[in-house]
Amino acid sequence: MATHHLYLTNSVLVSLLARRGSITRREFAVDDAGVGEFEAYLRTVARIPARLHVDLSEEDFRADMIPHVGRGDREVIIGRKLGQIYRNAPFRHAIVQGRESEGRRDDRVLYAAITSAEVLKPWLDAIERVEAPLEGMHSAPLLGARLLEALGINHPHTLLVHFSPGEALRQTYFRGTELRLTRLTHIDLNEGQTPGALLAEETTRTWQYLDNLRSFGADDRLEVVILAHPRDHPAIGPSLEGFTQLGYHLLDTDQVSGKIGLKPPARGPGAEELLVHLLDRKPPENHYATPEMRRFATLRSARNAIVTGAIGMLVVGIVGGVLTLARIMTTSERDQQTEREVMDLNRQYDQVRRSMPTYDVAGAAMRDAVGFYGGFIQGFPSMAQFAIPLSAALEAHPAVRLNQLAWQATDDAKAMPALTPQPSRVPPPAKAFARGAEAAVRSPAGEDLSSQPFASGRYEVALVEALVTSPAHDFRGAIAEVEKLAEDIGRIKGYRADVVESPLDLRSSLQLQGRNADREPAQMDARFLLRVVRTRGTT
Amino acid sequence: MSQVFSRDGVRRLRTPWILLAASIAAAVVLIGGTQVYLQKEQRDARGSEGRLQQARTRVDNIRKERDNLEESAAIYRSLLARGLMQPERRLDVVELMNALRTQHRIFSVDYEMSPQRALTLAGGNAFPSVDILASRVTLRLRALHEGDVLGFIQAVGQSGQGFHPVDRCLMKRIDSAAASEALQPRVEAECGLEWITMKDKRGA
Repeated sequence: MATHHLYLTNSVLVSLLARRGSITRREFAVDDAGVGEFEAYLRTVARIPARLHVDLSEEDFRADMIPHVGRGDREVIIGRKLGQIYRNAPFRHAIVQGRESEGRRDDRVLYAAITSAEVLKPWLDAIERVEAPLEGMHSAPLLGARLLEALGINHPHTLLVHFSPGEALRQTYFRGTELRLTRLTHIDLNEGQTPGALLAEETTRTWQYLDNLRSFGADDRLEVVILAHPRDHPAIGPSLEGFTQLGYHLLDTDQVSGKIGLKPPARGPGAEELLVHLLDRKPPENHYATPEMRRFATLRSARNAIVTGAIGMLVVGIVGGVLTLARIMTTSERDQQTEREVMDLNRQYDQVRRSMPTYDVAGAAMRDAVGFYGGFIQGFPSMAQFAIPLSAALEAHPAVRLNQLAWQATDDAKAMPALTPQPSRVPPPAKAFARGAEAAVRSPAGEDLSSQPFASGRYEVALVEALVTSPAHDFRGAIAEVEKLAEDIGRIKGYRADVVESPLDLRSSLQLQGRNADREPAQMDARFLLRVVRTRGTT
Repeated sequence: MSQVFSRDGVRRLRTPWILLAASIAAAVVLIGGTQVYLQKEQRDARGSEGRLQQARTRVDNIRKERDNLEESAAIYRSLLARGLMQPERRLDVVELMNALRTQHRIFSVDYEMSPQRALTLAGGNAFPSVDILASRVTLRLRALHEGDVLGFIQAVGQSGQGFHPVDRCLMKRIDSAAASEALQPRVEAECGLEWITMKDKRGA
């Protein structure tokens, strides 16, 4: 990006236009002709934002201390002070440089102003007429602190000395990093006087002035840092002889340029190229330009921001549109593929439909007939298949003799087949019965089965009536034998057996009758009843 | 900033502002328009997905139907071969009982066949294209051994003519005092079965 720096001294205005890695230097004399030339030149580069640096003898600096207060109050105090000190100066500025370490710990403030605005007026009028974007107006001496910082110079007392365009010498005194005094002297060599002698004379004079102001302690030493072009060093170096309180450091502007990254190195004897290069690296705050003076720069920044925003919006829109378009194409492609699949499936459907077999009998009748067969007949149970595993379980219990078996295929898991109890020929000597409820099962007589719905036979339910032979009065053994039989039947996959009537019902709610006599049979046949259920699909 | 929105500022920045507004409008149109079109495409795609699912289901169903039909046809042919769709032939029952009694050494077989009726099916099942008819048959058997009874009942159930599912049976030993003599029946059974036939309603 191109930058345009205007360096104004009392005798010349230097234009430094940095563009595409090269610096174009133009100088305009401080007179009407120079202003005219400058305006004509400025019209050719009017779009490039400019910064005006003033290095004038009409620039005044005053150090002051104010109470340390909040930011708002401080600005009010500083504004009032500036108004008092520089009542008629339109270009004025203040910098808070530091804070006292003792006492009230006041803020150290440096006030600066251009005491004669007339010096600037022709140039500012030219800039205004051209409508060049002026980004700021800066004090060149105040920028000296940046140069010291960039060069890593941090003495307690430093006097920065450099040449200014128009045969001038700028001396700026820094205590630490704070500017305390600056002087601009016109270079007017006496006959036979070398620049070095002049520098020695001027710097010694400045030291004496500062010393008179009691700026130094007993052991303090003023370090004089002189920036000069290498070709001037032979005329300067030999004359610089320091003493205990004053030391000289002659710096080569080529080396300084290299150190701060200025390419190509500064060509002139002055330090203006070095100073403005430091500004390019880190733009400083504006010192003197009013908002009105800067309005073209403000509008230019706003224009750039708006155009950037517009381009950004357009890019967002295009990128968003392209991304959505990509999704549209993907979706559309998938949709077309889906449609092809649908058409393919429809073809398959037609093929299958055409290949469907046709029969003489209506398909519905066939489906119903087959449906009835599959649902009710195909898996209908048979009593023989039910009885075979049951018979195997009974064989393992020789004391048990089957009396009768009532079997039923049903869809009701709670069904109870009809059965008429058969009494034992050798009845046990004890039995239990409930009043009015002799039998737990129903008699088969009188059942009208033709009116009942035909079941698919999901369950097979059987009542098994049998006798268990055991020694007389050994009811405990008889009951155990029956329970073991029920348990064995329950182990057959799909079967479940429950004792409906035990050889001797021991429930407390029943009446128990028994008989003991001398002549009794050695054994007894105790009757019992099991309910066995087999569920289809589990075998 | 006030200079930007001053009369002069607005005048000088008119073109950038118009450019920004146009860019915003273009971005909105680009994004909004493509979004609307995308939503339409997505709706179409969802519709296509639905049609695809329906087509798949339709093909699966017709394939299953074809397979079922082929399977049903095979079963149906076997049912026809067993005379399921023919009228009840009661003479076959008489001959079957006589043949099985001899075959399974049954002492005596008494049977009763009730009048034919429309069979009511458990669970409210109904088959609208056929009439399912059944005659309730009650058998009373006397045999020497339980195995003979079971064999006879099994044979009745598996008889090749029609369907005769035996759905209940009571089998009991005959009193041992009466069965003490040799070659006397020791087991008697009373069983019930349905003699089932069908009739195509269209042919009725």
